[in-house]
Amino acid sequence: MKKNGDQEILQLIQDPTTREMGFRKLILTYQKRVYHVIRRMVLIHEDADDLTQNTFIKAHHHINKFQGQSSLFTWLYRIATNESLTFLEKKKKRHFLSLDDHQKKMESYIDQPGNIDGDEIQRLLQKALLTLPDKQRLVFHLKYQEELTYEEMSEITGTSVGALKASYHHAVKKIEYSISQE
Amino acid sequence: MQKLPKIQDFKAPEGYFDSLPDYILEEIKPHRSIQWMKYAAAAAILVVSLGVWQFNSSETQFETLAMDEEVNLFIESQYWTAEDVLAMVDNPEEILDQIIAEEMVYEVDMVDENDQHWY
Repeated sequence: MKKNGDQEILQLIQDPTTREMGFRKLILTYQKRVYHVIRRMVLIHEDADDLTQNTFIKAHHHINKFQGQSSLFTWLYRIATNESLTFLEKKKKRHFLSLDDHQKKMESYIDQPGNIDGDEIQRLLQKALLTLPDKQRLVFHLKYQEELTYEEMSEITGTSVGALKASYHHAVKKIEYSISQE
Repeated sequence: MQKLPKIQDFKAPEGYFDSLPDYILEEIKPHRSIQWMKYAAAAAILVVSLGVWQFNSSETQFETLAMDEEVNLFIESQYWTAEDVLAMVDNPEEILDQIIAEEMVYEVDMVDENDQHWY
């Protein structure tokens, strides 16, 4: 379902004389949401910056394929979440070959002073989240942080509502257990 | 879960979102002249490499074949693992990237539902 703002952006992009203006508007409208959905997954700003740029560059390359059956936000989230999961998968394969322990890097990032505002519970939550498999962590963020509906999440992840509900349930149980152990 | 607070988002550096649109738009601008030079340079390297290879191939052919056979023997007998082979090459990161790219075909508009395992 397209919103009015999306329609305006798409019209600007479709016209070669206003294409750049349209794309700028697209970035300005969605950059913060896209950045934060990625940052929650990869934690480190430099990685989130690269992936946010990649997301918009890929959106630019594929915008002509955008069918308009979903909102631009859903489509961009789909690219952003794919980018994040692919990035983390790549890092894990490297760790398997002992080239780079990205998981430890993210854990120590949470412990570094100044990276997390707020009290101890925030740090514990972030640590507990890191114990989840990446896809489960993504489901948790989309539901708990973004407050998306399961139907929206299903569009973004290409996964059934039932599987997402089960995944969220498992994530919540694990986080509650991790927090209770601290 | 009701007792837990919302997770606070990590902050982006000051002014990051002010410069991001310009940065991305600059990245997606076509750079025709650079592109053309890249192709020309690649073609030149290819021509020179082919010349050098032709010149040397007659001398090194038997040596290379023997070495290939030996390497294959080590791999097939599982004396060398994939990690061993990667550890021996100069560019393990590039090879890994290539393997990952081949294994994880990126589809922006099509994600096979059957391939997703969420829990």
